Amino acid sequence: MVKREDFLREPVVHMKLNSSMTVNELVQQFGNAGCFGAGRLSTACDIFERMTRDEECTIFLAIAGAVVPAGLRTVIADLTRKKLVDVIVSTGANMFHDLIEALGGHHYKGHWHVDDSILYGYHIYRIYNAFVPEEDFVKTDMAMTDMFDEIAKKSKGQALSSREFTREIGSRLKDSKSILRAAYEANVPIFLPAIRDSEFGVVYRFHRKRRFQEELLRVDAFKEVLEIVDIVEKSPRLGMVVIGGGVPRNTIQHAAVTAHKGLDYAVVITMDRPETGGLSGSTLEETVSWGKVKKKSDRIMVIGDALIIFPTMAAAVLERLGDKFVRRGYVKWLEQE
Amino acid sequence: MVRARMITGEKSESKRRFCGNCFHHNVYEYPDLILCNMRYESGKDSIVSTLGFCEHWKPAPQECFCVKEALKKRDQNCNP
Repeated sequence: MVKREDFLREPVVHMKLNSSMTVNELVQQFGNAGCFGAGRLSTACDIFERMTRDEECTIFLAIAGAVVPAGLRTVIADLTRKKLVDVIVSTGANMFHDLIEALGGHHYKGHWHVDDSILYGYHIYRIYNAFVPEEDFVKTDMAMTDMFDEIAKKSKGQALSSREFTREIGSRLKDSKSILRAAYEANVPIFLPAIRDSEFGVVYRFHRKRRFQEELLRVDAFKEVLEIVDIVEKSPRLGMVVIGGGVPRNTIQHAAVTAHKGLDYAVVITMDRPETGGLSGSTLEETVSWGKVKKKSDRIMVIGDALIIFPTMAAAVLERLGDKFVRRGYVKWLEQE
Repeated sequence: MVRARMITGEKSESKRRFCGNCFHHNVYEYPDLILCNMRYESGKDSIVSTLGFCEHWKPAPQECFCVKEALKKRDQNCNP
């Protein structure tokens, strides 16, 4: 039986601010208060730090929602280079937006209160309050169609997994700020489980229209299942950081359960709610019922805007780790290739 | 008066046949150049003038500002 005093062990320590405090110092003040979103964010930082310090943990990063066009591109690329992320599972769209910038395009600060029919007239696409000119998509489509042709020629009809495909793309990019390029250089696999549900699908159509059947690029959606499960099987411990959720989140969770292993660490940043039964809002406790996350795991959901939460968490943890910290990452699986 | 215009088929310049109001267009360099999807898919030179047109012209279901702005720019260049 839980005693009354068990509920009253830790008083709230009110936040104290000063003019020279660092990100991590602010997060520690959040932890001192420990309530609401501040407490959750502080816990998320602690869990992410533990993941990074655990040399036998493979850290998966799930990316859903338009965080790359909105400004997280370089943060993710830098974390990838530093090996604070071992495996990326993303929507196709986020990687396509990475490509738009890698190939010379831009995203622009806009506004949500705008006449969208005027944007339509000007061929400008809106992602909440970020704008993308159509020509940046068009030019990327054209460059990527050529790249599809090249990769197809190289692979000689052999089907690639999305991981092999993204690696081929990364090897052809020069932009050091690109996530795809950083992942290629750091040997971090990128899986795109819903690749066709993005501009990659449009590019495929262009590629297909101008190529003969035997010259077509083939990406096998099932091939990557074996690859990601293999990574899970070879990893003593598993951690995931989720931005958004959806298909990328469940790809990681499903790999964990397929390998009969639950995740040991989980941080989910979302604004979705659990009542719909969707994967972006489902609680981590619900995930335990499937065996996707272990009952005894370090886990937290942070309800908030990933554009604020994720960089704050990353900055606090980078500060804790210090400049001299080097993480090798556990994915030995790729080194055998 | 309005009816008469309709019967005689008078069209404002922006309603005329231009690549920039064709179904197959996307922006390449707004407002001057467009990507013709039809030409691109068939491997032909696909970057064309917004104010050009060809026999495959098909009106766009919804109008954009490409033609209007390209015409304005052309007129400004002609009458600096």
